[in-house]
Amino acid sequence: MRALLAAFLLFCFTGPAWAAASDPAGTERVQVRFLSDVAAVSPGETFTLALEQRIIPKWHTYWLNPGDSGLPTEIDWTLPAGATAGAIQWPYPERFDVGPITNYGYSDQVVLLNQITVPADLQPGDSFPIRAHVRWLVCEEICIPEETNLSMVLPVAAPPAPSDYHESLEATRALLPVASPWESQVALNGQELTLTLALPEAAQDQVVSAQFFPDAWGQVIHSGKQEVFRGAQGLSLVMEPEVGFDPIQQPLSGVLVLTDSLDDGQTVTRALSLEVLADASGAAVAPAGGGSAGGVGISLAGDAGAAFAEIGFFTALLFAFLGGLILNLMPCVFPVLSIKILSLAQQVGGERRVMRHHGLVYTAGVLVSFAALAGLLLVLRAGGEALGWGFQFQSPTFVLLMALLFFALGLMLSGAFTFGASWIGVGDRLTQKPGMGGSFFTGVLATLAATPCTAPFMGAAVGFAVAASGVTAIAVFLALGLGLATPYLLLTLFPGALSWLPKPGVWMDRLKQAMAFPLYAAAIWLVWVLAQQSGAQGVLAVLAAMLLLAFAAWLFQTTRALGRGGRMVATVSVVLVLAASVLAAPRLLPSASAGGPITALKDGLVPSEPFSPARLAELRDEGRTVFVNFTAAWCITCLVNEEVAFTDPAVAKAFKAGNVVYLKADWTNRDPVITEALAAQGRSGVPLYLLYPRDGGSPEVLPQILTAGSVIQALTAVTQTSQSAELDTQ
Amino acid sequence: MSVLSRIATVALVSLTTAGLAQAAPVVDQPAPDFTGVTAKGETVNLEDLRGKTVVLEWTNHRCPFVAKHYNSGNMQALQQETQAEGDVVWLQVISSGPGRSGHVTGEKAQALNADREALPADTLLDESGAIGQAYAARVTPHMYIIDEAGLLRYQGGIDSIASANPADIPKATNYVREAMAALGAGEAVPNPVTRAYGCSIRYAPAS
Repeated sequence: MRALLAAFLLFCFTGPAWAAASDPAGTERVQVRFLSDVAAVSPGETFTLALEQRIIPKWHTYWLNPGDSGLPTEIDWTLPAGATAGAIQWPYPERFDVGPITNYGYSDQVVLLNQITVPADLQPGDSFPIRAHVRWLVCEEICIPEETNLSMVLPVAAPPAPSDYHESLEATRALLPVASPWESQVALNGQELTLTLALPEAAQDQVVSAQFFPDAWGQVIHSGKQEVFRGAQGLSLVMEPEVGFDPIQQPLSGVLVLTDSLDDGQTVTRALSLEVLADASGAAVAPAGGGSAGGVGISLAGDAGAAFAEIGFFTALLFAFLGGLILNLMPCVFPVLSIKILSLAQQVGGERRVMRHHGLVYTAGVLVSFAALAGLLLVLRAGGEALGWGFQFQSPTFVLLMALLFFALGLMLSGAFTFGASWIGVGDRLTQKPGMGGSFFTGVLATLAATPCTAPFMGAAVGFAVAASGVTAIAVFLALGLGLATPYLLLTLFPGALSWLPKPGVWMDRLKQAMAFPLYAAAIWLVWVLAQQSGAQGVLAVLAAMLLLAFAAWLFQTTRALGRGGRMVATVSVVLVLAASVLAAPRLLPSASAGGPITALKDGLVPSEPFSPARLAELRDEGRTVFVNFTAAWCITCLVNEEVAFTDPAVAKAFKAGNVVYLKADWTNRDPVITEALAAQGRSGVPLYLLYPRDGGSPEVLPQILTAGSVIQALTAVTQTSQSAELDTQ
Repeated sequence: MSVLSRIATVALVSLTTAGLAQAAPVVDQPAPDFTGVTAKGETVNLEDLRGKTVVLEWTNHRCPFVAKHYNSGNMQALQQETQAEGDVVWLQVISSGPGRSGHVTGEKAQALNADREALPADTLLDESGAIGQAYAARVTPHMYIIDEAGLLRYQGGIDSIASANPADIPKATNYVREAMAALGAGEAVPNPVTRAYGCSIRYAPAS
């Protein structure tokens, strides 16, 4: 208004001189005029000339891509010789949904910017006349094509002078889309077109709405749903592709409008212009959020884009807690825990208060470890690493140290050495102070030992956590920890439950020694994992370290009986030996790349091919049913499943009968492609079993605990369904 | 467990079907079947038209894009020339809901065509929008061609230049003419799916 007044005053007092705005023109529905951001143009310079449209309520004009109907506004320029006008710069549009029809356009008011370049040969004192024929379509219940002529004259001056409209036009400029500062990806999977913007976690949390506006017809169904998902890969928008749109051939091009809610409650809208081609090899990866929250013992056929939506925060907490409970029974945790329970049994009838204390300290140990694990995960994720449950086993150094830890624990249980008030606490008097440290350590140990295992319910919960914001992720991990700690905690609270155990005696010592063997077995398994990762040299490193460890144990045990001086010497040598084994061994490991690709996992009776998104897409194009097994050598649950389900001749027969292709995605070593494929299913770890029907539908997610029967049933069901679907179309 | 997964599957299947109701038909697939009432009060069933090529033209006489093609005589010429060659049935469809732009009675629809000298075989009054929704028709004019076997062969705009300016008609590629020529010659339609431009169809509000 002030600008108008200023223009008016300028006109009145300077006579027929220059104005930085044209006279308004147009119709009763749309008033248009030009506004210049300079009061005078300069030779050779470019200035902004804006077309302002003021639209009466309920009517709208259209954006560059008008959507399902309508037409964009057009300007035909008549400019002095040598002058040029660029294409219209469009502020981001609004979406209008009217029944099944969607339009992109503007209501109330819009300012379309144009860059006009002034020829260099003009002289100060010349005039620069601008004429234009402007056409637009304005619609409400009916549509009316309208047009008008606009003209104005600007003076030519050597230094450009900003006009009264300069500031308001700068504000308009802020509505123009800018190039996205974040990487973006697009993937087409059946009826889902997913645009993923690598928006950092913190920035994702601020986004309250996201809307993609394709800048041309034929990419996205304008009236289609657009669903937003937050994930480790970034912010994803799942849209409905237009029939025949292939982002490998033709980029997805348009404007992504994000509305952020800031901490102070203000909202800010950002418009990013994007032009993204799909990566041909990644095109078949299901979109983030695709798949389902399955893997909970019930296999839900995956509804589009539902993973994060389907499993809510509280479900994730519940699943995490249940998963944690079940972890206690997993082969990795059970030996550690059973020893701890035995020590408790020795104290039945002891002081209740002290026992409760132990339970709480153990719980604290578990929770602190889980919090640390979650924290580490978050820090690494913020650093851009793609991670999941069990990710630490992808590091050969970690595997080596875990192997040494299990070996040392085994030695201790075998009685090769005793460690003051034993860590594990067998034979320990619960009243002794160090026992508390032991309880805490057992909690840490239980957590460490649990990491290679995945229990039912866990997959969905951890997948949720990995994709969620920091606080949510930590909450889910703590729920998992609480589940893990609960059985022991309950026993310390109600020690009467242990009264059925025989009186403490020699049998306990024997049992303790016996429990060393599962630990040795775990160590062997870890050495085997290391062999996959680092080859023979890795095995050499870990075995040499084990030798030194055993030597240190022997040294420690034999010298502790000596006098104070001898013990000192012994302690120093033990520390040196330990340091040598723990520090030097990882250096002996060959660099990760030297390990080369591995396919160590056995095939069972079903021949497999290595997984790649491209291969999956190819097979699906051929109309084949595909079973994808996401697995890793360090994932015990995976190995057990493979042993149970894939060595059964009946399963092999079912694969053959259904003409099902078996793809194996081996995540033993870091593999970003597989991590992404997992993330696409809302998962962050293995195992994951997907069964893709031949008709191109969403994959079925099989339970995390497989049996031969369940695999056969799933295979039979899916092949029969596709056959009947085929008959229907004939 | 199996009961649960069966329930989930059933729920999913119904969801999918609900989702498909709005999806556009696919070219070279069977065109969605329909039964409609014409301006003359007769009933037309797509299945009864097997053996003939059917052209569907969504229209709204108040739409300037429709006016562009009728005032210039372009649409009438196309109706005449396509139906003159071979067994072709040209059906106008009016999917405007009651009280909305372009909604007309049967008499009015016939009067409009008489006035414009338009020559469709019939005009379907689709005030419920059922036929329009089945074809995902979005604008007027929106064009569809169904071959003798009932397969959809073309869907999209009338021509290649999206404008309300009749002066663009001679410059544009007329996709309907192009598709009809290809079908007549037994060739593949060169542009089977194009952008339809025009006014939004004013469907009756969803009940």
